[in-house]
Amino acid sequence: MARKQKDAELLLHFYEDMLRIRFFEEKIRDVLLPNKLFRGSSHLGIGQEAVAVGAIHALREDDPVISTHRGHGHAIAKGMDPYVMFAEIMGRRTGCCKGKGGSMHLADASKHFMGENPVVGSNAGMAAGMAFAVRLEGSGRVVASFFGEGALNTGAFLEAANMAALWNLPVLLLCENNRYAISVPLEKSSSLMDLENRTCSYGIPGQRINGMHVMQVYEAVSKAAAEMRQEPSPRFLVFDTYRFEGHHTADKESYRTEDETIAQFRERDPIHILEVEMIDDHTVDLDTTIDMRERVRAEIDEAYARAVQDPWPDPEEALTGVYAEQEVG
Amino acid sequence: MSEPRMRAVTYAQAIRTALREEMKADEKVILFGEDVGQYGGVYGATTGLQREFGEDRVRDTPISEMAIAGMAVGAALAGFRPVAEIMYCDFLTHASDAVVNNAAKWRYMSGGQFRLPIVFRSPAGGGAGYAAQHSQNLEAWFTHIPGLKVVMPGLPRDARGLLRAAIRDDNPVVFLEHKGHYTFKGEIPAEGEIIPLGVAKIQRPGKDATLVSWSRTLTYCLDAAEKLSEDGIDVEVLEPLTLQPLDVDAICESAGRTGNLIIAHEAVVFGGLGAEIATQVTQRLWGSLKKPPLRIGAPFVPVPYSEPMEMFVVPQVDRIVTEVKQYLGG
Repeated sequence: MARKQKDAELLLHFYEDMLRIRFFEEKIRDVLLPNKLFRGSSHLGIGQEAVAVGAIHALREDDPVISTHRGHGHAIAKGMDPYVMFAEIMGRRTGCCKGKGGSMHLADASKHFMGENPVVGSNAGMAAGMAFAVRLEGSGRVVASFFGEGALNTGAFLEAANMAALWNLPVLLLCENNRYAISVPLEKSSSLMDLENRTCSYGIPGQRINGMHVMQVYEAVSKAAAEMRQEPSPRFLVFDTYRFEGHHTADKESYRTEDETIAQFRERDPIHILEVEMIDDHTVDLDTTIDMRERVRAEIDEAYARAVQDPWPDPEEALTGVYAEQEVG
Repeated sequence: MSEPRMRAVTYAQAIRTALREEMKADEKVILFGEDVGQYGGVYGATTGLQREFGEDRVRDTPISEMAIAGMAVGAALAGFRPVAEIMYCDFLTHASDAVVNNAAKWRYMSGGQFRLPIVFRSPAGGGAGYAAQHSQNLEAWFTHIPGLKVVMPGLPRDARGLLRAAIRDDNPVVFLEHKGHYTFKGEIPAEGEIIPLGVAKIQRPGKDATLVSWSRTLTYCLDAAEKLSEDGIDVEVLEPLTLQPLDVDAICESAGRTGNLIIAHEAVVFGGLGAEIATQVTQRLWGSLKKPPLRIGAPFVPVPYSEPMEMFVVPQVDRIVTEVKQYLGG
C-alpha cells in the first residue's frame, strides 16, 4: 500500500510537470506566436515531455544538465521558473538571461541547468568536459546531455562519445529520437535504424526506451544513473518520441502529412498515456487530473501575464556582460 | 627596489614555468591536449608536468580537437580552470565551434550566469618549413570574436607572466605561441611574475617611428631596430602583448610622440590586425601623423613550403629594415 501511495505521488508529480511544459509551450504557440511576442523562432517539444520529465526527475538536483534548441521542457523539469523563461523568450530585462539569449539559450546556473546549445552536436563535448570535472571532484554527480537523433551524425558527438568511454566519464547521452532532423526523416539520415547500437563501437552500452512512457524513462535513467555513481562511465539512451509541432514555429511541415501528426497524437501523446494509466490503475481519479490541469494552467497563465508586463532592457545593456570582471591575481 | 634575480630560459621553458606555477597555486588548473602527457608536448612545453601533477591533471587526449575544446568549455562551466592545448593553431579551425560559439558566448548569452576560465594554448606561425596547413597566424580571426581574449607574446618573460595571468583570468583566452620560437632564449625573473592582460609594453624606446609588433616578428623587429640604429634611425618597438583587448592608448601615446606608425606581423596583411591598429590610431591622431601608417606582413598567399619562397612570404629582419627605411625616407 505504501509503495502504491509512493508511486501515485511520483506519477502525479510527473503529470504536473508534463502539464507545466505542455501548457508553457501551448502558450508560446497560441498566444506569443500570433501576437508576435518573440523574435526569431521557438522550437517546441510538444510530445516530448515524458523524456524531459522522466529523465530529469531521475537525477539529483545538483547533476548538471545541458540541452538543445528544443529545451523548454528540460528547463522546466530541472526546476526553472516559467515566468523568467517567458520573460526571456519575450526579450524582457527580467528574463533568465536578461534578454540576451532568448528561447534557444535559456539557462539557470542555480538549478544546474547549464543552458541550451542549439548548435547540433555541440553540447556533447561540453557534457563530457563537465563529466570530467565532476569525476575529478569525486562528488558522485552525473552529467546529462540531451540531443536529437540528428546530433548522432555530427563529428562533435562522435569525438565526445569516444572520449567519454576512454576516460570513463559519468555522462548520460540522452538521445531524443523524434524522427525528424528538421525535414529529413531518420531513414534518410542514419545508416542504422537501431540507433541504440550507434555507440557500441566505443564500448558505451546503448538502450532503446519508449520515450512516450514517463515511468519507463524514469526507471531507465534511474538505473543508469545509479550505476554511474557507483562506477563512473557513460551511458547512451535512445528515447522513441515524436514532436507534434513543426521543427520551429515557422516550419511549414511539408515533409509529413497532417494525418501522420494527428495519428501520432491520438496514439502516442505521453500526457494522455499517463492519464489513462493513472485512471485505469485507480492511482488517481478523473477529478484529480482535472483539478491538476486547471491549477497548472492558471500558474502558466499567471507567469505569462506577469512576464508580458515586464520592461524591455535598455538598448545599451547590449554592451554589458561580454567579459567576467577580472579577479585580482 | 633592486632588480629581480633573473635566469635564462627558452620560450618553451617559460611556458612550462607558468603552467607549473599555476598548477601548483591552484588544483583546479588542469591541462589536456594531444601528446601533452608523457611526451611533454610536440614542442616540449609540457615536459615533466604529468610526472609532477599526475595523469588526472595532465592528460593526453585522442586526436579530437572538437572534443578537446568542447571539454575545456564543459570543465570550466563545472568549476575548473582548463588549459587546453591545440597542437597547431591551424587546427583551431576544428575546435572553433567550441571556442567561438560556446566559450566566447556562453557568459553573454546566459546574462552573465557563468564564468569560463579557459586557456586555449596553440602554436602558430611559419618559417620552419611546415607549409600551408601548419604555419598560419590566425590571431585576427579570434580578436574579431567578442568574448575572447587573445594573447600572442614574443619574449619568454612576457610569455611566462602573461600565461599566468591568462590562466587566472575568468574569461576564455586564446594564447598563441610561435612554433619557430620555442628554442628562443631570454631572461625571466626567478621569482613568479604575473603580467596583467591588456597592457602594452615598449620593448625598445625610440623617437623616429613606432614599430608595433608581436609574436616572433617582435623579435625580428628588435633586431631590425638595432640595424636601423646603425644608420641613425631610432625606432621605438612597442608590443601590445594582448591583442584583445588591445591597448590602443599605449600605441597612440607612442605614435603621437614619434609621428610615424608601422605595424609588422607575420599574418597576411589583408584583414590582419595591422588594419585595425592603423585605423584606430589614424582616427585619433589624424593630423599628428607624418604619413599614413605602414603595414608589413605576408602577401595574400598561403604559406609555401620551399625555403626561398617561405622566407619571401614570412617577414624577415632584412625586409623589415628595408621597408622601414623606404617608408621613413620616402
